[in-house]
Amino acid sequence: MDIYQIKDIDHYYGDKQVLSIEDISIQAASIVGLIGPNGSGKSTLLKLLGFLEEPTYGAILFKGKKVAFFSDEVRFRVTLLTQAPYLMRRSVFDNVVYGLKIRKDTKDLRSRVGRALDLVGLDPENFAKRKWYELSGGEAQRVALAARLVLKPEVLLLDEPTASVDADSARLIRKASLQAREEWGATLVVATHDWQWLYETCDSVMHLLHGRLFKNGLGSAVYGPWKFGAEGFLHKEFDDGQVLVVPTPEEGKKLAILDPSRMKISLPGKDPLLKWKIDTLNGFVTRLFLERNGEMVQVDIKVVELVITMRLALDKVEEFKLYPGKKVSIAYDPRDIEWF
Amino acid sequence: MGNKAAMKKTVFILVCLTTVLHGSIFFSGKFVHAAETGGELLMATTTSTDNTGLLDYLMPSFTAKTGIGVRWIAAGTGKALKLGENCDVDILLVHAPQAEIDFVDQGFGVDRQQIMYNDFVLIGPTEDPAKIRGKGISPALQAIKSSNTVFVSRGDNSGTNKKERLLWKLADMPIPEQETWYRQSGQGMLPTINVAAELKGYTMADRGTYIKYESIAEGKPALVILVESDDVLLNQYSIIPINLQHCANVKYDKAQVLSSWMAGDEAQRLIGEFKLLGKQLFTPNANRE
Amino acid sequence: MRNRDPATYSAISVTLRTSGMAMAVSLLLGLPLGYLLGYFDFRFKKQIRIVVDTLLSLPTVFIGLVIYALLTRNGPLGEAGLLFTIPGIAVGQAILALPIVIALTATAVEASDRNLRITLMSLGANRFQIAKSTLWEVRLGLLAAAVTATGRVLTEVGISLMVGGNIKWHTRTITTAIALETNKGEFGMGIALGLVLLLIALTVNISLTGLRRRI
Repeated sequence: MDIYQIKDIDHYYGDKQVLSIEDISIQAASIVGLIGPNGSGKSTLLKLLGFLEEPTYGAILFKGKKVAFFSDEVRFRVTLLTQAPYLMRRSVFDNVVYGLKIRKDTKDLRSRVGRALDLVGLDPENFAKRKWYELSGGEAQRVALAARLVLKPEVLLLDEPTASVDADSARLIRKASLQAREEWGATLVVATHDWQWLYETCDSVMHLLHGRLFKNGLGSAVYGPWKFGAEGFLHKEFDDGQVLVVPTPEEGKKLAILDPSRMKISLPGKDPLLKWKIDTLNGFVTRLFLERNGEMVQVDIKVVELVITMRLALDKVEEFKLYPGKKVSIAYDPRDIEWF
Repeated sequence: MGNKAAMKKTVFILVCLTTVLHGSIFFSGKFVHAAETGGELLMATTTSTDNTGLLDYLMPSFTAKTGIGVRWIAAGTGKALKLGENCDVDILLVHAPQAEIDFVDQGFGVDRQQIMYNDFVLIGPTEDPAKIRGKGISPALQAIKSSNTVFVSRGDNSGTNKKERLLWKLADMPIPEQETWYRQSGQGMLPTINVAAELKGYTMADRGTYIKYESIAEGKPALVILVESDDVLLNQYSIIPINLQHCANVKYDKAQVLSSWMAGDEAQRLIGEFKLLGKQLFTPNANRE
Repeated sequence: MRNRDPATYSAISVTLRTSGMAMAVSLLLGLPLGYLLGYFDFRFKKQIRIVVDTLLSLPTVFIGLVIYALLTRNGPLGEAGLLFTIPGIAVGQAILALPIVIALTATAVEASDRNLRITLMSLGANRFQIAKSTLWEVRLGLLAAAVTATGRVLTEVGISLMVGGNIKWHTRTITTAIALETNKGEFGMGIALGLVLLLIALTVNISLTGLRRRI
């Protein structure tokens, strides 16, 4: 079941457009990662998914239904954890119990709070009575998470949950979030730079850049300067003399994105395809990474200043005998390159 | 967004709350007013009268005799008259004859009754730099002017102030408005005396307030009486009930009771017996014209 | 001298009654209004804020004069019979205190962490609960507002004098009594009364400091 369906949202802060996302669904009980540089709109997207703000244009469906901003339906089901560890000025216990009291759900408060604290690795005996200022950053973030987990939310939105905390807390936070999914099927959407989340925990990853979503990954964003090439095409000259050919963009579009899924890898001089007039770039492998499913390998290929990440089947990697440092060629069709 | 609707609702609730609150204050006001002041008379008088302590001394006897409580507000003559005109009080006790006559003529007050008098005196430092001791009023004022000694005036349009300005006129002198030695305090009698004491200057005060000043100074005042007993220095106090025709809410009957009592034998005797430092402040003169 | 004098006790009682009523009303109205002003964005927010801040500088004699004009027998609220009474003074003092409470509450709310709002919403609070919890979070700022307003109300003379009339036993407050005694030249008495007022203020502040520590 799709827990979220994003339908064509455009979100503005004043005159500035911060998000432009077409159609995206998020499956229930999945773990979705959100990558992107600062300012790409990750936090904004999370706020919209949390129904804390209303998209300027477009709508987000929750479980197939249109939901109003701040509506009762989602208020008790979706929760967001902010990037900076933030607690209210009260004891740990009172912080964790707040959401339950709001919902007038007051049975067994002590044991439920105790369980939630255990879940994030904080001993209730020790921590329940502490005040908000008697905690380290990591402990505070864990308490904040506990306050949300105790509510057994259907959706847990995490904004860089491990960014401002120590390694131990990061680990415990990840563990607790996973437990949420195990126990009650929570859906997780996590904005993060943390590789353990992205590669080991997430079922899928969305890339966000300048407010736009790239489902299949960011590939590489290529910036100028550009020179005029043949009719209708631009060239980018790299330092080593290689040339990237792209179609001329429309007015107002500034970013060229290479889509690695449309590219073909080959060993220099060996692939007969090279005979045809398809453009190629030469580089070398820098990193190989086996995904959780055990079948696909992420291959980072460095082409002068670009790093292109391709996903190859394991057997293909074995076929090409790829290893870090190996020289490879990438064939691409300029018409596959999109402008944004 | 939804925010605006919620805000409007909150503001509406607050407006209702405010109305309820003010309503309850009103009613509590009425209740308090009725409970505390139901039977009481409200009188406006001058600060000099109040400062002597005469009313603290006199009013309890009235209440004992008639069961009517009296509260009073002390203000400058002008303000006291205004309070009467505005119907905020039931009766006046002031000492500004010309203004009082105008007040009655305009229909604000009725049955003006003379109650008591004292006199004004010129006081100054014992050293008497302008050498006015024992002189008549007019020569004294001229001496003050020619010696350039400080003279402090009330400067507040009170009965006392009006009398003082009259004295300059009677001495054939212009009001010394712009003169550097003429200081206008804009305040009541006691503060004005204190200013004169500080500046080692002269001033004109009513005898009652002067005696009070003397008693506060425990018999050792910085200023002493230098000129007195001139006929023109008379200070007449009168009581004026507020006109029922002008103010429908005043306690006219009770005001008349007070007025009659003040002019009656008991009050007149008590007034004559009121002394500070063994000196009499007021001479009763009701019904003696 | 001052310890035995029943007139002094009367003045203390009047002062406490007027200030108490005034502070109750101004807090009841001012806290929610201040919250609204600080929390929401709306069209004339800036202008309203300027007006409120300017009202902080109202001279008490001016307020006293305006209230007198309203409460005088022939005035718009004359029928209420509030002139020269304690509730009348309280109304004037409430008007004195209200801008202080509103302005300082708005400031405290505006200064609160952005994450507070997100956190409260994320935990499922509705609008009313958000308001309540936000005010609780900024409670130290609200306490400062209350302390400041109380100080101003306890020490003002202009309103008590004009609206109360300084009637002995009835509407004579500590401050108007000080003004009276000073005018009479009884400086000793004036200072003694001033010390009593200071003692009251000290007691209030000590208890509030104790409160601040506990919350």
